[in-house]
Amino acid sequence: MTIRTSAAALALAVCFAAPAAAEFPERPINLIAPFNAGGGTDLLLRGFAPHFEEAIGSPVFVSNMSGGSGTVAASALSGQRPTGYQMAYMSITVSTIQPQIKNVPYDVDSWTPICSVAASPTLLFVNNDSPFQSMDDVVAAVEAEPGKYVFGSSGPGAMTHLTTVAAFSGLGILDKLKHLPFRGSGPAIKELTAGNIQFFGDTEVLMQRGDFRPLMVFNDERLENYPDVPTAAEVGIEAPLNELYLWGGLFAPAGVPEDVVAKLAEACETAVNSEGFQEFATSSGTVINHRGPEDFEAFFRSQYEDNRALIEAAGL
Amino acid sequence: MLSSLPDAFAILFTVEGIATLILGTTLGIVLGAMPGIGSTVAVAIVLPFTLSMSQAPAILLLLAVYAGSVYGGSISAILINTPGTPQSAATCLDGYPMAQRGEAGLALGWATQASIVGGLVSAVVLIIAAPQLAAFALQFGPIETFALILLGMTCIVSVSTGSVVKGLLSGMIGIFLSLVGGDPIIGEFRFTFDNWQLYSGFNLLAVVIGVFALSEVFMRASAKITSVSELVSFRGIVFPKLAEWRGRRRNLAKSVLIGNVIGVLPGTGAATAAFISYAEGRRSSPHREDYGKGEPDGIVSSEAANNAVTGGALVPTMALGIPGDAITAVMLATLTLHGITPGPKLVEDNPVLIGAIFAGFFIINLLLLPLGTLLSRVAAPLLRVREAYMMTAIVLLCALGIYFVRGNPFDLLVMGLAGVGGFILRRQGFPMAPLVIGMVLGPTLELTLRQGLILTDGNFFAFFESPIALVLTIVAIAALSLPLVRAALRRKPA
Repeated sequence: MTIRTSAAALALAVCFAAPAAAEFPERPINLIAPFNAGGGTDLLLRGFAPHFEEAIGSPVFVSNMSGGSGTVAASALSGQRPTGYQMAYMSITVSTIQPQIKNVPYDVDSWTPICSVAASPTLLFVNNDSPFQSMDDVVAAVEAEPGKYVFGSSGPGAMTHLTTVAAFSGLGILDKLKHLPFRGSGPAIKELTAGNIQFFGDTEVLMQRGDFRPLMVFNDERLENYPDVPTAAEVGIEAPLNELYLWGGLFAPAGVPEDVVAKLAEACETAVNSEGFQEFATSSGTVINHRGPEDFEAFFRSQYEDNRALIEAAGL
Repeated sequence: MLSSLPDAFAILFTVEGIATLILGTTLGIVLGAMPGIGSTVAVAIVLPFTLSMSQAPAILLLLAVYAGSVYGGSISAILINTPGTPQSAATCLDGYPMAQRGEAGLALGWATQASIVGGLVSAVVLIIAAPQLAAFALQFGPIETFALILLGMTCIVSVSTGSVVKGLLSGMIGIFLSLVGGDPIIGEFRFTFDNWQLYSGFNLLAVVIGVFALSEVFMRASAKITSVSELVSFRGIVFPKLAEWRGRRRNLAKSVLIGNVIGVLPGTGAATAAFISYAEGRRSSPHREDYGKGEPDGIVSSEAANNAVTGGALVPTMALGIPGDAITAVMLATLTLHGITPGPKLVEDNPVLIGAIFAGFFIINLLLLPLGTLLSRVAAPLLRVREAYMMTAIVLLCALGIYFVRGNPFDLLVMGLAGVGGFILRRQGFPMAPLVIGMVLGPTLELTLRQGLILTDGNFFAFFESPIALVLTIVAIAALSLPLVRAALRRKPA
């Protein structure tokens, strides 16, 4: 039923699309999930929305606009008026990777970053029965038999792809491995279990779905749950490839008035720090990482630059 | 697993448990019957409610909506030639002709009984053999999946009523439509003409609804209205007598088996199973000559298979933590939110919960019988309106459903164009089912072919080093050549 209500509210929002009035917000606010209902981003946003609603004091509804690895929603949003009533939860790939590898109608200057919500470091992992105990083993094996080993991804240009590229490009063995893209992480994980691929990279939550063993983590320090797993820098991978976070936050189209940004950002901070959302984050394995508008904008812009190295390495 | 069942029943037979099962199944049937909603969206609609529920009821609600929607899709397929979900597209082929003959109630009866048998058997298989089947699913890599999809593609021939050439052309159109959007291996956009609306390709559901439902509305609008008679004469479900099942049980058993096996394999899905099962029925059923003209066996083939998929899809999900499709992925996410880590140890660590889920799944399938009967009685008067109103309502329902799925008005345009295109093609005698097969199977065929070629370094013949792939390919070739051999044998004596 919520989807119906959302659609009705969306229709209303479109009818009354007027310049931001003095008392923001006077209408419902739409948070767009650029992926299908039921996916990770959608769940996170639906867990976040009620707390955001409470903080902003106006109805907030989540709508889904999926397709094109998130670019369909981002393209649609970039053409909207910057009123602050429409925002999307965009990840590192939607906001910094896709616009640099595809011909989409948005780029680094199309947005008003509002706040970041989450950031999880990624890990490179193998099946538990794999002979590889460390990255040294991997490098030796790959050097010995170039073209034999295969790494998977959930799709070209996805976070899973970038993680493996960062790992193998950082160690200088990327061209000696084969890349096998899948449609989503599920099928890729199945092939890792079955042994058709040997390496995969994703966040801690996803890794725990299977009987897998991490070899390194793209974080600035070792993870609490895996004190014996080295960071990428320890393995010898140099910046900017040594840290990789699946981060995401709220973006509005460029040009949102400052007072509106301030209100949205304040509500976002309150929502992120709310007890309810913290509980949700614990149960869903979300690593909270809040940044205000200025911080987030600086971070977003530096990521946009840094990720160019990854894109080049991946040959995208 | 079996030893934990008593505790599992204690969870199920509470007020909350029973209410969840009944409400969820009802909602699933209704949502599945609405054209354009589809199982994935139906599950997504109830997802927010599960956040405040306890573990077992949360998963059971999703399961009930899932199983209910797969069955519900057959109702609109039979009554108004509109597959509520893509997996019911094959049900239209015989269900709708039966309805046009005035046997809508009976067609629904066949569909209901076949769905229930399919679902129940898959539930039993899930309870008894999930770990073994999961091990089997792991044998299916990209190369094996490619061979299976190749076999599925041969169904285009069996569902081509009239001209096989036109059927093949229709299938090619479907495959071509599926190529629009992102390339699955290198990520580049194809055939998008720099229009971002095409980045994700054509929405499958929008095209299916367009070519089936909208084109049907156009067909009727273009015909001379001579009467204001009822669209279909339907007074509620009529169940076939047990004796009428005689001679159809083999077909039923085979369809359930096909659905179960295909359901277990991640990334194939209920639509594939329904079409393969339909094609197999058309090849081997004693009533094969009547397929496409309103033959109950056709309904049984499709419905038993697509409901058997539901239990099958839970096998890799529960035994390995690997979602078989978008719906089981949602279930895994829900488990995570309730503090349960899906994975190979899921069953081991939570025997009671999983027992309750499996037993609940069995009960959900039993519930399809009374709830299906009841809901079809309620719906019957709604169908007794004048055709013009009915057609308008169908167009509106389809448009609403399609818009909800992705919230993108562009999908409405796609649906409209698919409707016009479907209308033109159907008037020229092109069957529409092959188009749907092409569009459903095309992307997987392409992805697995190219994945296989990466694995074998471009050597296609290395595909046949896999025994499973070899057998499936031989079956596909046999399925294609059998009619030719039969025809040749028939000619010889003369």
